[in-house]
Amino acid sequence: MLPGRQQVTGNINSFNSTINFISEVDAEGRQIMQWLSPLEPQQRHQGVRIDRLDSVGNWVLETNEFRKWRDTEDGRVEPVLFCCGDPGVGKTYLR
Amino acid sequence: MIDSLCDQAAGKDVAVVGLYCDFLAQQEQSTTNMLGAILKQLASRGGIPEHIREAFQKAKREFGGRGLRLPAVVEFLKKTTTSLERMFICIDALDELVPKHRRELLRSLQEIVCTSPNMRVLLTGRPHTDDEIVECFNTAVRIPVIPIQDDIRSYLEMRLEIDTTPKAMDDEFRAEIMRVIPEKISEM
Repeated sequence: MLPGRQQVTGNINSFNSTINFISEVDAEGRQIMQWLSPLEPQQRHQGVRIDRLDSVGNWVLETNEFRKWRDTEDGRVEPVLFCCGDPGVGKTYLR
Repeated sequence: MIDSLCDQAAGKDVAVVGLYCDFLAQQEQSTTNMLGAILKQLASRGGIPEHIREAFQKAKREFGGRGLRLPAVVEFLKKTTTSLERMFICIDALDELVPKHRRELLRSLQEIVCTSPNMRVLLTGRPHTDDEIVECFNTAVRIPVIPIQDDIRSYLEMRLEIDTTPKAMDDEFRAEIMRVIPEKISEM
């Protein structure tokens, strides 16, 4: 075998092993994701995002309660905020 | 909520994750699966943390490939959030969970919030879930969400805009819809 060819074969082998390594990591990554949870909340979020009218409910984001909860530094604010309301008032569709 | 928090968080070391509770998925929405879904979102943002990968490999070697349990998920979350500047968890429609899962989820969140001061939790739900929330977070801040007339009007305009049979409606009828519905809803 010519030296040049040997080198090419060597490169291809290392390339293949890199590919194997990447797909192994990916396969494990997918298994870990599945192990953590079967739920996919991002899918529901896409649906909500499509149906939402962006201006509606913005007043909630402008309340002092919301701003304080979002912006105040750790330990100086109550960490839990509860937006409560009857069915259909638009809690899910707040932007 | 999630999207406006994300807009704010862009470029900072701040994570925003969300969960939707659903009547139709009550069985699979166990606390372990819900909190696991938060970890999944964190992992797809910043990669799978080494401590989770190690735990997975260990679990896999054990008899039958051991499933994840709640205390482990809580520990994973505590550990993963320490590296973040701030983390926002938004959970929608808490009232749609079965009571047992709801209580367990709130307790677990309480435990995580205690050790992770960088955590902010936003919950939405019907008013009757209030007592259970207060039980775990007695100083939780409430925002009552009510439909305001301007919002109802913008929503109606949008719906009339996409109406498939606009000719079935004259201007007078349209004006009446725009007047009566917002009035009736705010009387409710």
